[in-house]
Amino acid sequence: MTRIDPAVSATADLRRDLRRETAFFLSLSLPALVLVGLCAMLPILWILRQSFLTLRGTYTLSNWEKLLSSDLTWRAIWSTVELSAGTLVLCCILGLPLALALASAPQKLANRLLVLLMLPLWTSILVRTYGWLVLLRRDGLVNQGLQSIGLTDTPLALVYNFTGTLIGMVHFMLPLFVLPTYAALRDIDHNTIRASASMGASLPRTLVSVVLPLAAGGIRSGSMIVFIYTLGFFITPAILGGGQVNPIAIRIERTLSTFQNWGAASALGILLLLLVALAAALLVGVRHLLSRRGGHHA
Amino acid sequence: MLRNPLPSTLSLALLATVSLPTLVTAQTLTITAAGGDYGQALKEAMWSPAAQELGYDIREESQSDSLAALRMQVMSGTVTTDVIHLGSAEAAQAAALDLLEPLDTSIVDMDSLPEGARNAYCFPFDSYGTVMAWNTETYGENGPKTWAEFWDTKTFPGRRALRANAQDNLEIALLSDGVAPTEVYEVLSSETGLERAIARLEELKPDVAIWWTSGAQSAQILADGEVDLVVTWNGRAAAAKEQGPADYSFKGSIIGTDCLAVPAGAQNVEAAMKLIAGMTTAEREAKLTDYILYGPLNKGAYEPGLIPEDRLPLLATAPQNAGTSVYSDAAWWVENGEAAQIAFDEMINR
Repeated sequence: MTRIDPAVSATADLRRDLRRETAFFLSLSLPALVLVGLCAMLPILWILRQSFLTLRGTYTLSNWEKLLSSDLTWRAIWSTVELSAGTLVLCCILGLPLALALASAPQKLANRLLVLLMLPLWTSILVRTYGWLVLLRRDGLVNQGLQSIGLTDTPLALVYNFTGTLIGMVHFMLPLFVLPTYAALRDIDHNTIRASASMGASLPRTLVSVVLPLAAGGIRSGSMIVFIYTLGFFITPAILGGGQVNPIAIRIERTLSTFQNWGAASALGILLLLLVALAAALLVGVRHLLSRRGGHHA
Repeated sequence: MLRNPLPSTLSLALLATVSLPTLVTAQTLTITAAGGDYGQALKEAMWSPAAQELGYDIREESQSDSLAALRMQVMSGTVTTDVIHLGSAEAAQAAALDLLEPLDTSIVDMDSLPEGARNAYCFPFDSYGTVMAWNTETYGENGPKTWAEFWDTKTFPGRRALRANAQDNLEIALLSDGVAPTEVYEVLSSETGLERAIARLEELKPDVAIWWTSGAQSAQILADGEVDLVVTWNGRAAAAKEQGPADYSFKGSIIGTDCLAVPAGAQNVEAAMKLIAGMTTAEREAKLTDYILYGPLNKGAYEPGLIPEDRLPLLATAPQNAGTSVYSDAAWWVENGEAAQIAFDEMINR
């Protein structure tokens, strides 16, 4: 009974080593975990608690009751989703051809074009947003140009509305969509495209059946970044929306600046967080569905 | 009240100066006011000369968010401020939360104030107007003269911009609908008053191109020609007039005030009340207009000779504008502000 099987003890040793190793690598993430805990989780918990407090600091459910029964909340959610979806659709329409062009360009040229694409990312968002204001306003360059070539008689309402906000959002988000998409496209083995062509597939057919499915991972990451990032965006709708575009981020600011009501604003903040989580879950769900379908095909 | 039951030695010293006027004791008071140019103007025109006259030493604290600072001091029981400068809306909120001492009417002179501006907790001393401003390229010198004309999109076709806030807009909407300036809050408080004001705003909504959110923005869109008519604050309107083809009028303006108050539990309440009285004399409020375009509340400041003639048309409370303007009722807004703002936001987002 006391005899130890050397094979068993060796396996046990290995297991122990493995456990130790895992523990060591996990411990490496401790500083990051502490940082995230202190700087992200704690404030979120604080905001969650705040959403159950009255102005005088007693506990209440009224912030949530008011919020969920208010028409304004649902309009703000709708406006948020509308802006995010609109931005995502335009990013796909503009970004996919751009990424395809970049991916099929010679590497040197592609690198230069990428720098151009990144340029807006390195410019302050405030500068860019006010830049759009100057371009798009009634006596701005765009309207002056359109009128001088006779396309329109009166200035178009391009800014201080949904159109202007969407233009500003797409301008900000496009590089964030194109970069992962481009990376995925670049990684595609060119032989698959040649194979598709050699079997008689037309270019559109090759795109739809070979290129896009192979780049799906990158497109999904790009879409996720664009959609979720737009959900919480404040500056662009605040400056270019002219009070006509009021997503949740704007409502939070209004609630704070008009009523100094931290409770109600915190509840809105938690609602936004839930919306982000829901969007992320949906996008991940869609991926699972797609990959299962892809699996059946294979 | 959270007042310290033991009078501090300083209060004793104050009592000494009251009973023995010949004895000069330096009383130290702390004043919390806006910083920057405004704070400097308050100091030079008002509290510095007042303190000199009363023989007080003044310690100054600058605060951009006075209400938060006041709340912190009173709630924690360590009130270091004796006189605090607040907006009247903030003051009404503070009073509702029991953060202020009631004004001692035997020391401060309520009779010097216009009736609509009086308040039991915070003594108003200067004012700004929410006014109509217009592009003079669109309308020449014949801008709208009343809020009814501002609403008249046939006679005055053009793009409008209003602040994305119910405050002042509800009052203006009722004025445009024929309500007399003295009856605005009576109508607003009636059962259908709020509805009526919101409906009137909704009527104008198709012609409102921008709901602005900052004063700077309101002046910019007017100067740029982005809109033809703007409801904005008189300081911004004056700036727009200097920059671009714009003019404005105080007719029917909604007047907001800034005021001085004593925090609940302050250590030198009586001395603080005296300082407020000393700061708000006609001469000192008139002097403030040398620095900043905020109209005095003390009626005496408009006695001939105190304020230069060319300065008068720029002040919200000047006599030539009296009768058409409405004093914003901070107490109404504290009580009804949230419901009003929600109705207003719903109207915008409809």
